[in-house]
Amino acid sequence: MATDKSNFQLVISGILNENPIFRLVLSMCPAVGISTTVMNGFLLGIAVLFVQVFSSVTISLIKDLIHPRIRIPTYTLTIATWVTIIDMVLAAYLPEAYAKMGIFVKLIVAFAIITMRLEMFACKESVTASFWDGLGMGFGFLFGMMALGFVRELLGLGTLLGYDVLGFKPLLFFVLPFAGFFVVGLMMAFFNYIEIVYKRAREKRVEI
Amino acid sequence: MTIIKRSLAALLLLLVLPAMAQAELISGKSFGDENEIIVSFSAAVNPAAAADPANYIVYEEPDPDIRLNLEKVLVSEDARSATLVFTEPLNTTQTHIVSVRDIGPTVESFKVSKSYIGYLLSILIGALLINNFVFTKYLGLCVFFGTSKRKDTAKGMGLTFTFVIVVSAIMSWFFYQFVMKPFHLDFLQIVVFIGLVSLTVQAVDTILRKVNPILFNAFGVYLVLVIANCIIIAVPLILADYEYNFFESLMLSLGAGGGFLLALYLMSSVRERMEFANIPPTFKGIPIAFVVAGQFALAFLGFSGLSLF
Amino acid sequence: MKDILTIVFRLTVTCLVAGVIMGGGFVLTNKAKQDNEHKNEQRVMLSLLGYSKSNPAPQAMALHEIYRYVVSEGENLSVAYLLPANNGFTFVNIGLDGRFLSRHPVAISEEQVLKGGDRDTAIIAALGPGKSIRFADQTIVVTNGGKRQAYLLPGEFTGFKTFIKVILAVDQDFAVMGLEIMEHEEDPGLGGEIVQDYFKGQFTGKDFATIKKIKVAKLPLPDEYQQALEADKNGLNEAEVARIRALYSDKDIYALTGATISSRSVTNGVKGIVKKFAYRMSVLDRVLDKQQIAVPF
Repeated sequence: MATDKSNFQLVISGILNENPIFRLVLSMCPAVGISTTVMNGFLLGIAVLFVQVFSSVTISLIKDLIHPRIRIPTYTLTIATWVTIIDMVLAAYLPEAYAKMGIFVKLIVAFAIITMRLEMFACKESVTASFWDGLGMGFGFLFGMMALGFVRELLGLGTLLGYDVLGFKPLLFFVLPFAGFFVVGLMMAFFNYIEIVYKRAREKRVEI
Repeated sequence: MTIIKRSLAALLLLLVLPAMAQAELISGKSFGDENEIIVSFSAAVNPAAAADPANYIVYEEPDPDIRLNLEKVLVSEDARSATLVFTEPLNTTQTHIVSVRDIGPTVESFKVSKSYIGYLLSILIGALLINNFVFTKYLGLCVFFGTSKRKDTAKGMGLTFTFVIVVSAIMSWFFYQFVMKPFHLDFLQIVVFIGLVSLTVQAVDTILRKVNPILFNAFGVYLVLVIANCIIIAVPLILADYEYNFFESLMLSLGAGGGFLLALYLMSSVRERMEFANIPPTFKGIPIAFVVAGQFALAFLGFSGLSLF
Repeated sequence: MKDILTIVFRLTVTCLVAGVIMGGGFVLTNKAKQDNEHKNEQRVMLSLLGYSKSNPAPQAMALHEIYRYVVSEGENLSVAYLLPANNGFTFVNIGLDGRFLSRHPVAISEEQVLKGGDRDTAIIAALGPGKSIRFADQTIVVTNGGKRQAYLLPGEFTGFKTFIKVILAVDQDFAVMGLEIMEHEEDPGLGGEIVQDYFKGQFTGKDFATIKKIKVAKLPLPDEYQQALEADKNGLNEAEVARIRALYSDKDIYALTGATISSRSVTNGVKGIVKKFAYRMSVLDRVLDKQQIAVPF
């Protein structure tokens, strides 16, 4: 079966309707753990984006060679390989950023989101479609992480990307590690709220 | 090789700990207050010799050349124990070496350290409460939110997970210490550990299916989810980082599994009650669960800085 | 059966390919990683000594590494230092009471000495049989035109969560010139603040007598002091900064809000590193003096 969406739609759906953090509620660990600043969110998002795109393309390339009974081990091996590569590259060329992300880069290997996309999409579709789908998912994750980082950094430290924006620290609470839970919960509720309002507005229009 | 020796020593220690009294002169030793070491003798000693600070040499094990300053030595009435009082507080996390001369027939050296069992327990308690993997390290959240809706599910998942993590962490530890470290294959950590986890899960699945179908029906569902849990891969990575020995690794993996079980159980208890609560529609389901988890995380902060041993 | 064979074959091929890709990645990135780590360390060390791009280090400045080992022969322990001597390296063995025991020339090149494994084998070869060694720590002596200017002390101690790795710079009288946190896993917003200038800068300029007795004060950091510590941000002039710093130079370390344990760990860690080093350096200097061992520092 081939997908009926255009490449652009694949990317957009990954960012909005199927956003891995706010809609699919997958890969919550980094979303809570290290989304304290926009920069942290961006860096891990980029790492996940690379792993997602590379894995999707790889699986899509070799989909005819994979024996159905060893699908999952093959996925795992593919993801682990790319995570190892990304991990080594980051450790070598961006040591400071790597130190900030700590163990989370290595843990990308256990992110359900990547395996799920491989199972649902990459092993059925063409290479190009898989590439765009991976890109969409990766960007969705990146966007989610950066949105969380934006809220937490602005409200917690009064800075954005390290530059002082507000000139004071509104609520240190937001950058403290455990506040990740609250911020994610509140943002999800906020998106739900928007959705409800939007639906109501549409229903009204239908009545008229 | 040293690893094997250390593990064996630890094993021996565990077995013969009660019987491990110092022979001859010294019958017991321990840390007292923050700047004290208490030594007890098997027989009454010469109080004048025992009270002379010049007869004692004390240093921390890694720094043999730096002697600690003894302020005074207090000998008890029956001359069977002495309290060594130091000018500065001791760093009790380090093993201290004390050598005594002129009190017994020969120069006696002995180690003073916190008990090893206590240290092992502190690793277990640490992973269970102080650094709970869910509430203070923020790992394993996807599975945590997915399986904490009902108490039965939570218990099943927690137990399955604890079992798998102990088995796979121990395997990973052996593999890391005896294969990867000697051959400098550290960069293969991720692949090897995830491979071992998958292997464990597959093995448990197959064995359960054959041996005990009833158990398999109860726990088989959760086995698939175990792989999607980052804690399972985080624990071997942490073990490799800290260079723990066998027993320490066992304790950490037990603590990690137990901590996950505890977190799941607490969360599921709250979520069962929340089903009857009047929650605003925007917060229904996952958002409110996150807010509750945040409150648990806040509560668990209270354990930080806890030291029992 | 045929099914199993194909599965096994395909898995093996996949693993091999994955292994080749990862091995390739490792080979390509490992050298860059080590280079970057080395460069970063050098940069940190220079900045601790007060040099930067706008104020480059003088030509006459040189760094000499000293490696400390614990030597054990059966029950007997001693402490030994691998030093650069005027012709190659020498291994000076000193008893626990500070008496000179022996010295051995070590055949090792400038490049090899940086690698732990090569260093250990060369020392074992020089020592002869029956002795085992354990690497303890290293110190860097900074000289300027042959005169001692400072010491750089890498060290680590336990923080609130895990280990905190630091590099500390002290001058020839063991007054702290600067502190840099290299690695830590403290909580962001709480213990993680140890990397901020307003905390780690408090150690700078404290003399040895103060450091020996230093404690943590659970008081709020005075505003003027904070401004002086963060002079780079708010552009106070140097004279003003020096005046304010002088006011607080003999005070204790002001704790971070909500992170007393982290503050205390760093303070006690720094105190321990400086005190131990000062004692060891005096012992080593006495031995070098008595034995007429010529060293370039």
